[in-house]
Amino acid sequence: MDRNTAIKVSNLTHTVTSNTGDLTILKGINMEIKESESVAIVGSSGSGKSTLLGLLAGLDVNTSGDIFLYDQEFSNQSEEERALARGQYVGFVFQSFHLLPSLQAIENVMLPAELKGDKEARKKAEVLLDKVGLSHRLTHYPNQLSGGEQQRVAIARAFASNPKVLFADEPTGNLDEENGKLIIKLLFDLNQSQGTTLVMVTHDNELAKMCDRQLVMSAGQLTEKAL
Amino acid sequence: MSFAFRLMFRDIRSGDLLTLLLALVISVSTVTSIGLFVDRLQLSFEKESANLLAADRLIRSDDVISPEWEQKAKELSLQTAQRTSFTTMMFADNSLQLSQLSAVTDSYPLRGAYLIDDKLFGTGRRSVETPKQGEVWISSRLASLLNVKLGDQVEVGDQPLTVTQFLVRDPGSSASAFAISPRAVMNMADLAATNVIIPGSRVRYSLLLAGDRASLDEYEDWITPQLNESQRWRTPTQRGERIGDTIGRAESFLLLAGTLAVVMSGVAMALASSRFVKRHLMQVAILKTLGATPKQLGRLFFLQLFLLFVAGAAIGLGIGWGIQEIIASLLSGLMSTALPEPSIGRLWLGVATGFISMVAFCLPLMSHLIKISPLSVLQPNAKIEFNSFAIYAIGFVGMFGLMCLYTNGFLLPSIMTVAILGIALLVGAIGWLAFKLGRSLTSGATSGWQIGLASLYRRLVPNLFQLLVFTLIIMLTLILTGVRSNLIADWQQQLPEDAPNHYLFNVQANQIDPINAQTSKLGVKASAWYPMVRGRVTEVNNESVQSLYPEERNEPELYERELNLTWSDTLGEGNELVEGDFSAPGLSVEQEAAKEANLSLGDELTINIGGNLVTLPITSIRTVDWGSMQPNFYLILPKSALEDYPANFVSSMFISDREAQSFYRAMAQYPTVSILNVGDILRQIQAIIGQLSKAIQLVLFCILSAGALVLLASVRSTLQERLEEGALLRVLGARAALVRQALLVEFGALGFFAGLIAAIGAETCLFGLQVFVFNTEASFHPLLWLLGPAIGVLVITTIGVFASRTVLKVPPMLLLRGL
Ligand SMILES: Nc1ncnc2c1ncn2[C@@H]1O[C@H](COP(=O)(O)OP(=O)(O)OP(=O)(O)O)[C@@H](O)[C@H]1O
Ligand SMILES: [Mg+2]
Repeated sequence: MDRNTAIKVSNLTHTVTSNTGDLTILKGINMEIKESESVAIVGSSGSGKSTLLGLLAGLDVNTSGDIFLYDQEFSNQSEEERALARGQYVGFVFQSFHLLPSLQAIENVMLPAELKGDKEARKKAEVLLDKVGLSHRLTHYPNQLSGGEQQRVAIARAFASNPKVLFADEPTGNLDEENGKLIIKLLFDLNQSQGTTLVMVTHDNELAKMCDRQLVMSAGQLTEKAL
Repeated sequence: MSFAFRLMFRDIRSGDLLTLLLALVISVSTVTSIGLFVDRLQLSFEKESANLLAADRLIRSDDVISPEWEQKAKELSLQTAQRTSFTTMMFADNSLQLSQLSAVTDSYPLRGAYLIDDKLFGTGRRSVETPKQGEVWISSRLASLLNVKLGDQVEVGDQPLTVTQFLVRDPGSSASAFAISPRAVMNMADLAATNVIIPGSRVRYSLLLAGDRASLDEYEDWITPQLNESQRWRTPTQRGERIGDTIGRAESFLLLAGTLAVVMSGVAMALASSRFVKRHLMQVAILKTLGATPKQLGRLFFLQLFLLFVAGAAIGLGIGWGIQEIIASLLSGLMSTALPEPSIGRLWLGVATGFISMVAFCLPLMSHLIKISPLSVLQPNAKIEFNSFAIYAIGFVGMFGLMCLYTNGFLLPSIMTVAILGIALLVGAIGWLAFKLGRSLTSGATSGWQIGLASLYRRLVPNLFQLLVFTLIIMLTLILTGVRSNLIADWQQQLPEDAPNHYLFNVQANQIDPINAQTSKLGVKASAWYPMVRGRVTEVNNESVQSLYPEERNEPELYERELNLTWSDTLGEGNELVEGDFSAPGLSVEQEAAKEANLSLGDELTINIGGNLVTLPITSIRTVDWGSMQPNFYLILPKSALEDYPANFVSSMFISDREAQSFYRAMAQYPTVSILNVGDILRQIQAIIGQLSKAIQLVLFCILSAGALVLLASVRSTLQERLEEGALLRVLGARAALVRQALLVEFGALGFFAGLIAAIGAETCLFGLQVFVFNTEASFHPLLWLLGPAIGVLVITTIGVFASRTVLKVPPMLLLRGL
C-alpha cells in the first residue's frame, strides 16, 4: 500500500495547568494515519481521547512533539493559520452536535463552503442534507430538530467542505441505537464515497470494530489494538 | 447551616454570587455616594445662600417682634439677632439726606459678613463685627451726599453717631431688591435714644435665626401658626427668588440623577440575579434529585441572600462613603467654603436601595428557582419557563417605590415610569421589526453581516431585553447631559457677565437726559427708562377686593399692596405676550399674578391712583423674566391713563467695578436719585452657579460610570452564547476577522437602535422635565439625535467586542469544553 500519510504524530505530549497543578494528559504519543483510513480511538473515560482528537484537528496547541496533518504543522502556526487549515482539511462532529442555534439547518451546512467563498454552497448543502435524509427540514432551526436530526445536520456540515479528514468525538453518544446506526452508516458511506479519512472516538465496540484500525488510549499512552 | 456556607463558598468561588454581590455593591455605593454628596451640596448651598439672608432663617414683620419668639429660639439653642430697618433723615454739619438705616444687635450677622472699608468707594474687607454703640457705618454714596469723612459726626434723630467705616456691603441687603439706598447701619443699643421710631413709622423688624436644621424645623413648626399676614418666614432657598430658583433646579437635577442611579442599579441587580438563577437551575435540580426538599432549598437560598445582602450593604456603604469623600475633596478646591460634613442619617437610603432591589429582583426569581422540577436534570436542553412578567412586575413595583422614597414624591417617578414603559414598547416594536427585516433580507452566512443579523433575530427576546437595557442607559445619559447643559445654559443666560447690577430710582423726567449723557460718557448703557406711578387695585369687575377676599391672608399679591404701575408702548426686554393684544388700550397683567388672582382677558380692574379711580379691562397677559434684572411690572397701563400723574423713572444698568467710583461721584449731583447696587448679590449668585455646574458635572460623571458598569454586566449576561457561536465558527475554519465582523454587526446594530430609540425617549422626557419639573421653556435638542446613535454604536461595540475578545484568542477547544 502506498497511500499518502494523512496524519503523523511523533512524541506528542500535552500538559494543562489547573488549580491542582500541572496535569500531563498525553504522554509521548506516536502514530500515523493513512489517507482514507478509518480509525477508532477507544479507551476509558478521562484517558485523553478527546484531548488528542482536538489537538489532531488543530483546535488547541500541544505542549511538545509534532503533529502533521498533510503538510500542515499546527504547532508552528498562528491561530489564524490554523483556522484556515481547519476550513480546508478538517471536518468535526461532536457528541453534543454544536450547531449554530441562530442559523437554519441549511445555513449551518452551507457555512464551511461559504467560509471558503464557494458560490455553490447552497446547492451543495441541499445535496448533503438530502443524503442525510433531511431535505424536508432545510429551513428549520436546530432547536426545532430532534437530537438525531441535529447530528445528521452536523454530519452534513462536517462533509460540506469536502474535508480530507473527518474527526468525530463520540458521534452516537447522545443518540438511541436506531439513530446511532443511521449516523454510523452515514459516516462510513461518506467516508467511502468521498475517500475521507475518518478518525473517531467511541465507546461503542460495534462501531469500533467497523473501523480499519483501533487505537487504545490508556493513561495518556496510545497503543494499537491487535486485530 | 454549614451546608449553606459551603454552598455559598462554592458559589463565590465559581463567580456567580460574586456578580450578584458586585451588582449589590454598585447599587448601594452609587446611591449612597450620590445621596451623601447631594446632601452635602444642599447643606453647602444653604450655607452659601444663608449669607444673603445673614441667617439660616428669618422672620420679617411690620410689628415689633415679640420677646417670646426670641426666647423660644434660645430655648432651642438657636443663635438669634435682630435687625430693625427704616427710612429716616440723616443730618451732617450742613446737609441732610433721606437714607435707609438698619439698627442691629451685636450678634448680627449670624451668617455671612459685612464688607467695610476705610476709604471712600473702596472695595472692602470682611467684617463679622457690627458697629459699636455710638458708631455708624455709612455707604460711600451717603457719605459723599452728606459730605462727611471718617470720624465726622452725623445725627440720626436725637442721637449723634460717629462715622467709623464706609459700608460696602450689608450681608442681609438682598432681602428686598427694591429697598432704597443710600444705606447705613448702627447699633441697636442707640436706637431708643434716636426717638425716630414713633407709632405709624414704616419700620421693618427682623428676627434672625441660625442653628442646626432639626431645631430650625422645630421652630418653624412652632412659629408658623402664630404669624399674621404682615409677617413672613423666610428661608435661604425660597422659591420665587432668583437664588432659590437656581438652587431648587440644581436640587431637582441631583435628585433626578440620584433616581436614575437607583434605576440603573435596579437594572444591574435584575441582570445579575437572572444570570445567577440561570446558572443555578441545574444545581437546584440535582440537589432535588438527591432529596433536598423545597423548604430546605428555600431556607438555603434565603440564608444566602441574607448573607449576601449584609456583605453587599456593608461594602457598598464603605465604597459609597469613600467615593463621595473623593468627590468632595476634588471639589473642595473649587468651593469657596468647605463642604459641611454629610449627615449619617442619609446612609439608610443606600441600604434601603440594596434591600428593596434585592427583594424585588432576587426573591421572586429565587422562589421560581426553588420550584424547578428535578426532571430537568434528565433533559438539560428542556427550557424552563418562567412567568417573567410577574417577576418584572414585582421588580418594577419595587423600583417605583424606591424612586418615590428617593424623591419624596410621585411626580418624577411617574414621569420616568411612563417614559420607561413607552420606551419598552418602542424598543419591542422597533427592535422586532428591524431584526426581522434584517434576517429576511439576508440568508446564508458568508459575511459577518449575515451571521450577525441572523443571531440578532435568533435570540430575539434576550436581544430585545438587552436592547431595552442599552436604550435605557443611553437615554439616561442623554437626558442627564441634556438637562445639565440646559440648566447651565439657562443660568448663564439668566445672568450674563454684564447683567445690570445697578438700579436707579426716583429719577425725575427732566433728569433722564443729563443722566443718560453722564452714563454714556462713562460708556455705560442704561436699559429703557420706565415711568413709575404707585397705585392700588381696589375693585375687580366692580366688586371690591375687601368683599372678594375678606381674609387678608388669602389676598393675591396683586391686591395686597401698592403696586408700581408703568406705561409702555412696547413689550420690554424679557417680557413675552401670552394672550391678547399689548397695544390695545387696556391693562397688561403678568401671567403668574393673573393666575393667582384668577383673572383672565376682559376682566375689569379698578385702580386707585393718588385718590383717583381708573377702571380698565385686561387686554393682554404676558410673562416676565424676573431674572433679567430689568425693571419689571405686574401691571402695565396705557399711556393715556397715567400720563397726567407725576411719575418717577426707573432704569437698570451694568457698571463695572472700575467705573463704579466715577459713576457714584457723577451721581452725587443728583442727591434725590436712589441707587441700588445689587452687584454683590449677583456675584454671589454667579459663584454659586459656578459651583453648581461643577458639582453637576461630577455627579454626571459618577452616574455615567455606573451606567458603563451596567452595560458591561448586560453584555456579559449574553456573552456565553456569543462565545459559543464564535468558537463554533472558528472550529469550522472561520477567520478571526469574520467572527469579529459578526460581533461588530450584532453589537453595532444593537447600539445603533438603542441610541436611536434613546434619542426619541430622551427628547420626550426632556420636554416633560422642562415643562413640569424645572419650569423652564421646552426646547428641541438636535444634538441628541446625533449623539444617541453615535454613542450607542461606539460604546456598545467597544464594550461588546472587548468583552468577547476571548473568543478570538483562546483555543476553541477550551471554549467548547466549557459548554
Ligand atoms: N483544560 C483542562 N484543564 C484541566 N484538565 C483537563 C483539561 N483538558 C482535559 N483535562 C483532563 O484531562 C483528562 C482527559 O480529558 P479528555 O476529555 O481528553 O478525556 P476523554 O478520554 O475524552 O474522556 P471521556 O471518554 O470521558 O470523554 C481528563 O481527566 C480531563 O479532566
Ligand atoms: Mg471525551
